[in-house]
Formats: sequence, C-alpha cells, structure tokens
Amino acid sequence: MSDVMRTTAPDAIKSEYGAAAQGRFKRLWTANAPGYLFLLPWLIGFFGLTLGPAVISLYLSFTDFDMIRSAEWVGAANYVRIATADPKFAAAMTVTLTYVVLSVPFKLTFALLVAMALNKGVRGLPLYRAIFYLPSLLGGSVAIAVLWRQLFAGDGLVNAALAHFGIEGPSWISHPSYSIYTLVALSVWQFGSPMIIFLAGLRQIPTDMYEAASLDGASKFRQFYKITLPLLTPVIFFNAVVQTIDAFKAFTPAFIISGGTGGPINSTLFYTLYLYQEAFGNFRMGYASALAWILVLIIAIFTAFSFLTSRYWVHYDD
Amino acid sequence: MTLRVSRRNFMAGGATLLSLSALGSKAFAADTRLRLLWWGSQPRADRTNKVSQLYQTKNAGTSITGEFLGWGDYWPRLATQVAGRNAPDVIQMDYRYIVEYARRGALAPLESYMPAKLNLGDFDPAQIEGGSVDGHFYGVSLGANAASTVLNTTAFQEAGVDLPTQATTWEEFGKIGAEITKAGKRKGFYGFADGSGNEPLLENYLRQRGKALYTADSKIAFGAEEASEWFDMWSKFREASACVPPDVQALYKDTIDTSPLTLGKAAADYAHSNQFVGFQAISKDKLALTNYMRIKPDSKGGHYRKPSMFFSVSSQSKVIDQAVDYVNFFVTNPDAALALDVERGIPESKAMRDVVAAKLDETGKVPLNYVSGLGDLAGKLPPPPPSGAGEGQVVLRTIAEQVAFGQLSPSDGGKQLVDEISRLLAKG
Amino acid sequence: MTNGITTAIAAPPSDITKRSLPASVAIHTLLILGSLLMLYPLLWMVSASVRPENEIFSSTSLIPSSIDFSSYLRGWTGLDITFGRFFWNSLVISVLTVIGNVVACSLAAYAFARLHFAGRNFWFAIMLGTLMIPYHVTLIPQYVLFLNLGWVNTILPLVVPKFLASDAFFIFLMVQFFRGIPRELDEAAMMDGCSPWRIYWKIMLPLSLPVLATAAIFSFIWTWDDFFGPLIYLNDMNTYTIQLGLRTFVDSTSASDWGGLFAMSTLTLVPVFFFFLFFQRLLIEGIATTGMKR
Repeated sequence: MSDVMRTTAPDAIKSEYGAAAQGRFKRLWTANAPGYLFLLPWLIGFFGLTLGPAVISLYLSFTDFDMIRSAEWVGAANYVRIATADPKFAAAMTVTLTYVVLSVPFKLTFALLVAMALNKGVRGLPLYRAIFYLPSLLGGSVAIAVLWRQLFAGDGLVNAALAHFGIEGPSWISHPSYSIYTLVALSVWQFGSPMIIFLAGLRQIPTDMYEAASLDGASKFRQFYKITLPLLTPVIFFNAVVQTIDAFKAFTPAFIISGGTGGPINSTLFYTLYLYQEAFGNFRMGYASALAWILVLIIAIFTAFSFLTSRYWVHYDD
Repeated sequence: MTLRVSRRNFMAGGATLLSLSALGSKAFAADTRLRLLWWGSQPRADRTNKVSQLYQTKNAGTSITGEFLGWGDYWPRLATQVAGRNAPDVIQMDYRYIVEYARRGALAPLESYMPAKLNLGDFDPAQIEGGSVDGHFYGVSLGANAASTVLNTTAFQEAGVDLPTQATTWEEFGKIGAEITKAGKRKGFYGFADGSGNEPLLENYLRQRGKALYTADSKIAFGAEEASEWFDMWSKFREASACVPPDVQALYKDTIDTSPLTLGKAAADYAHSNQFVGFQAISKDKLALTNYMRIKPDSKGGHYRKPSMFFSVSSQSKVIDQAVDYVNFFVTNPDAALALDVERGIPESKAMRDVVAAKLDETGKVPLNYVSGLGDLAGKLPPPPPSGAGEGQVVLRTIAEQVAFGQLSPSDGGKQLVDEISRLLAKG
Repeated sequence: MTNGITTAIAAPPSDITKRSLPASVAIHTLLILGSLLMLYPLLWMVSASVRPENEIFSSTSLIPSSIDFSSYLRGWTGLDITFGRFFWNSLVISVLTVIGNVVACSLAAYAFARLHFAGRNFWFAIMLGTLMIPYHVTLIPQYVLFLNLGWVNTILPLVVPKFLASDAFFIFLMVQFFRGIPRELDEAAMMDGCSPWRIYWKIMLPLSLPVLATAAIFSFIWTWDDFFGPLIYLNDMNTYTIQLGLRTFVDSTSASDWGGLFAMSTLTLVPVFFFFLFFQRLLIEGIATTGMKR
C-alpha cells in the first residue's frame, strides 16, 4: 500500500497541489514583483559592484596585504592590534568623535536657521541662497588649504579681527589644541547641503497651515514649534543621520588642511585619514581594511540606534 | 597614444647625434606602446614630453603615453595600479619607496642590461649603489641632489647679518638666528625654521657624529643620547628665539609653499637642492643655498650626494627591453639632457653634466654649484633605508612636535624616538 | 484633497510688507554679514588669481598690488591639453551622473517607500549599510573588478554605478521625501486602477520635484568636485576631469603654478554656480504643485 502511495502519490500530489501551488506562486509574484522590479537597478548594482568588493575587503581585513604581493592570512591579528596596541587608533577615534559631536549639531542648526530665514521671502532671496551655498561648491579643492591658512594661522585674518577686541589668538590651524576646531569651522562653513535639504523640506509644508494658525492667533514661535518642527522631522532625521555618517567618514578636509599628516601631533588625524595612511603610506592594506570595518560597525550601531529611537520623534504622513 | 607636441620652445632641436650612434641600431617590433608615470608639475611634464617626442622620432613604431600627477596623488595611483596589475612600464621612483617596491618584487632588476643596453659608465658609482637594493639594481638615478639650507639673502641683508659659510657651526648658526630675530625688520620674522622634525637634517647631524639613521641590516644606528642632544639643541634655539615657534613650524607640510621661508616667517629653511628653483619662483627675495651646519669646525661627512629620483621599470611590464631602452635614452642622450635641464637634479652622467652646464641660467646654476662644491662636507652614501623607514620619518616629526609644544622633554623625546623606531624596524 | 493644488507659490508671503523697518534692517545686516563670511575665502581666491605669483603667499590683503590676468591664460593653455577639454570631460561625467542618479535612485526609493514586498526592510537596511563603507577600502577590489571588465581608463567606472543606484544617499533622501507625500493619493489612484508604474510616473515624480532637483544639484556638484574616482580610473590626460587637471598644477616637490591653480579654480566654480542657480528655481517652482490641504 505504501508502495502504491509512493509511486502514485507524487504525481497525484503534484497535480493536486499543483494548481494551488501555482496560484500561490502567482500571488507571491504579483505581490512582490513590482517592488523587486523597481528595485532591480539597485539590486544589480549591489550584487555586481558592491557586494563582491565589500566581501573581499572584509576578507582582506583578516590578512596582511601590502598590495604588491598576495594577501597572507593572519586571522584576527589586525583586530587585536587595533584593540590593544595602537595608540594612533585611539587618537584617531578621539579626534573623529570630537569632530562629529561638534560639527554636526552646529552645522544642522545653522542650516535650519538660514533655511528658515531664506524661506521667508526676504528681498534678494535667490542671491542670498546662492551665496550661502557657495562654500559647499568649493568642496575639497586644494585652494581651501591655502584659504584656511590665511584665515586661521597666527597672523591670519581671524586673529587680526580678534586683535580689534584686544584678544591675542594662537595659531589656530597649527596648534595641536585648536587645530580640530578649524576643521569643525570648515565643516560648519559648508552647511549649504543640509540647508538646501531643509529648504526643500520647508517648502513642502503647505503655507495655508501657517495662515490658518495665524488666524487662530498663534505666535510665530508657536507656529514653528507646532507646525514646522513636527512636519520637518523626517528631514531633520535624514540630515542628522547622513551628516553624522559623513562626519565619521570625513577625509578630504583633514587631508588637505593637514597635508595628509593628520598633524600637528595627530590632532587632525581623522579616522579615514589614518586608514589612508596605513593603506597607501605604509603598505598595510589588510590592517586598513580592519580599521574600515571597525568604522562600519560603529556607524552601523549609531544608525541602528537612530532608527530605533526615531519612532518617538519623527512623524511620517503614511 | 602619442603625445601632442609641446607648445613650448626648448633648446637645441638639432644637436649632435654622436652619442646616438653609440647606442646602436634600433630594431624593435613595430607599434610598441610604453606607459610612463612620473610626479611633478607642468614644467617637468613639458620637459619629459619633449624627451619622449625625441625618442619617438628616433624609434618609429614606439608610442609613449605619459601620465603625471602631483607628489601626493602619485603614490595612491601607483599603488592601485600595481595592485591591479596595471602598472606603467616606466615608473619614477623615490628613495623612500624604491626599497618597498623592490623588495616586494614590483620592479624589474636591471643589472643584466648594463653596460650594453644601459650605458651608465660615466655615472658616479655611488649613484648606481644608491639605486640598488639587496644586491640588485632597480633604479636609474635621474639626477643628483643633496640636502641644503635655503637662505633668504635679502632678509639677511636687511637685518645686517652675515650669511653662514661652509664652516659655520650649529652654535654659530644659533647666534645668527637670534640676531636676525632681534633685528626685527619684518613682522613675526625669525632666524630659521625649526628643523627638529626634519629627517635629513637629523641624519646629517648623526653622520657628523659618526652614527647614522639605519644600519645596512635594518637596525637603528643611533641611540637615545644623540637623539636627546638633538632635541635639546633645538629647545635652546627656541628659547633664544633663533628659530620659529612651534605653531609656525607646524604650518609646514613638507611642501615648498608651506615652508616658513616662503610664508615670510624665517630667513632659512631646509630643502633638497633641486627644489631651489621652486623656492625662488614663489619668493620675491633673492635666495641662496648653503650646507647644513657643522657640529664642530672640523666635523665632516654629514652630507651625501643622493639620487633625487629614479626611473624604474615595472616587473609586470610586457615591454621591459623597450622600457630600459627609453630610460637609457633619457639619461645618456645629449638632446634629452638639454631638454631636461637640472629640473630633476644634476645629471648623473658626466658627459650630460657638461652638456647642460653650459646652458644653465642663474637660478639653475645655484644647485649645480652647490652640489659640486660640497667638498669634505660630503661623505659616503648611506645604505638604502629599511622597510618601515617611511614611518620612522613620521614618528620623528610627531615626537619633535611634542617636544616643541612642551608635551615631552628633550631627553624623553630622545628615548621615545629610539624606542618607537626600534619597534617599527622589528616589525619589519 | 481635490483642492490640493492651492496657491502656495512663489508670491512672497504677505508678512514682508508688514515687517517693520528695524527688523528688516536687522535681518539684512545679519544676512550681509553672513554672506561676507561665506564669500571672503572666495574673494581671496579670485584676488589670488589676478595677482603676481610671488605675492600670493606673502600678503594677506584682498587687494592685489597689480592686476594680471596672465594666470588665466597660462592656466587655460599651460597644460598640453587646454583646460576646456577638462571642462568638457567633467561636464559629460556630471550630466550622466545626474541622469543616472535621479532615475535609478527614484526607482529604488519608490520601492522602499511605497511598495510592499517580502524582504523590504532587510534590503533597506542593506542599502543603508552601503552608505557606511568608506570608499578607500573597497577601492582596490573594485579597481580589479573594473580592470577585468576592461573599463579602466574610461568613464564607465564613474558613471555606470550611478545608473545602478550606487549612491545610497539619494535613495535615502528620496525615501524620506516620498514618505512625506500623503498615501491617500496613491490609494485613490489605485482604486482608479493605476499600476505602480503609473503612480510612480504620474503622481510621485511630479510631486517630488523639490527633492529631485535637490538630488540633481548635489549629484552634479559632488561629481564636479570628485577627484579620487578620476584619479584612480582615468589615466589618460585627455580624459582628465577638472579636479584632476587642477591638481596637476601643484606638486609639492617642484615648482607649482599657484596663479594658474587659483585662476582655474575660480573658473570651475562658474558652471557649478549656474547649474545651481538654474536648478534652484525648480526647487521653488516645484512648490506650485505641492501645497495641499489635509
């Protein structure tokens, strides 16, 4: 009997379940196909161009790789060294954290304030908007290094201005205690990008809401607090997360201002600059890969935390 | 891909062809493509392209693609290309990196090509040695230079102070520096730059004392005593305001444009002799070259004539023979020598030196005269630096900064320097 | 929601006439001061581009001792290849990048924001993950990959990834904006029998002009300013972009052409600036269709 079942059952089952299975498959397909079809370019890019190199770089982090000879497996040795025997890692981490904690809030605050000011229909608005965005256009050009020195060196313009108030400033850009602040200033000066995004977000808030609130007698401040801020939370969240990730990954400002040295005395040694030095200066690509993955881990933890807590303060419409 | 002809006019287009016939006949396969990579800026590119052009006219069927970048961008691009097995055929190399690339097998050994295909017979033998690593020859020197002190003669004159001479000692130099600062003719101006973190300067100091930076078998060749005395000497200079304060020195990023001399903060700075032209170009004042100071009036041998840069051939290249032929042309052909001038350094070949010397301008003559006039200041070429030496340079600068900013005492700085460098070398 | 299209447009809000003079002056003063802060370094650069070279580093004043435009001429023609060629190369790459980013990222963002499919959250997390990887590290493996594809020394490694939505930043940005558009619109359309594609094309995109314009602006500018990608993938000087061309002016070990550098740097700001000016109008005019009543 079991033999009979065994020989006939598969076919019977197939034909019996066949229709249902096919129906289920079709439903799965109709339900999920649109999503995956829209996602297709990104999926191709991810699998084709990102995943492979990322996995290889993860592998490299467990090796000794000088880029010229083949990689040699060393297990967790790189990670152990990072955790226990690398003073420059600690320095880089400190500098980067300082940079993140200082530059991101200031940058976002300025971006929001200026965006709000520019959103109000000031005369000459388009021109102001362009002017405030200009610094971001200069990006990481070589010229910035020279400019920043002109501003922040011992005999630079900032000190000349301070002298009017009787303050004698140090050489901000070349003193180990202050140099990081010049980099923070550079980042904040280039607040144009988050400003534009805030502007776009502000513009999406319907003005009739403000009109209705005014009619109801709400003050400007109340309007900001009850209308603008809540409706802006998705954009604030975006800017906060993205600017923080960018700040962790920042490379170009430190590279051009310190001439790639991270000095003086490692005071401008951004984490990715240290990574770069290890990879291209010291031929230690394996170690640099380990450093990179540690950074990814830190950023991932921070981002996950942000997303998890976002439900408490970010309002989406959907 | 062939190069465009340079729009600039250079010297003799129709010079003698004597040496060319000595190179033998050219019978390479048609359509050889050579890739060339070097660092430098446009003036060097113009000269290099001119030489490539000359080579191509004499070797129909060879096309040369030249790529160039600034120093800072050069090394990541080279490293990536080597890692990706896409290295250029002819690579410009630096003393600091040639050991790294050679020991890892990225460069082709060239000794088998000498002397027939690579005629370096009238090169200074020390320069051949300079391009050798572990017994093999990897780099053809493109020019000699030596470490030097760049002096702002205009500032010295203003302050009414005499220029240092070949016999000046560090002590005397310190006094000179303090005098310039005291004269106070320019705002925020000091005697000389703070060289405590400058590796060639330290090396010179050690050599005068009979020591060196590294031994031939990759160990540290100096001790905490010398290092501490070195830092101590500079601390005293700082106290006497003979040299610039630390926050001015920290502006220096190993580039001509961030040098305290260029920025108008000091009357003297330290550089390689072939950078003199670059310094003079962006300075309004008249500059001159002199040596590093002696420790005692009779100490000698601190300096050495070193290759400013090399051409190496990639071991991955499919056209090594042709690449070597190009390099040979580059350093032994008179037309090439005239086109190249002393921009990369003084030509190594005596014959080429003679050809070039006649056509140099005022500024160009200065490094030439300086290097040939070193006399007993120059000693034997040190062995190629060990792996990890590049990091050692960074360590020196960091510790020097720490001492300068008062975070470390000179004696602690000396001890730490020796410790860290020993550790670096041990890692290998 | 039918009267979704309201009049919330570029007409300046009525409060501009009600603002008192002192407040107006105060705001303008602040804005002008702020502008000077933003502009000063730029002005210095322009000044450096017209002053004699040996004065650039020794003087901190904005006023040059003499005006000399030779840096511009030298910068433009001084390299073997005129700077115009670099401009063109940069333009091609930047425009292609803009198209690639806007198209591919909006497609992906629409999927993440509006469509339900199995594994959506998982892929979203992965997408965010790609934002966190510093590029120096995947550099060598990616270089080898492109080398094997034969794409090195072409613009393909710089452009093709954009058409495959490699810039997760823009996907994330658009997702945030798409989520701010009321779902009722989608639902109404679906009830009318619209496919996801039609919703995307006819509803989402038109309502998202501000964020699309933002993405276009940023794409253009960041690509214009990028030097590391071109440094690694473009060997042939004929294919160099502006940033790469600028860097050949400066070599720390030999004589650099600082005047030329500053002159060309000033020039390179011009197209970007105009691109920005043009697209920022889109940013504003896009508003015309987004005012809606709830």
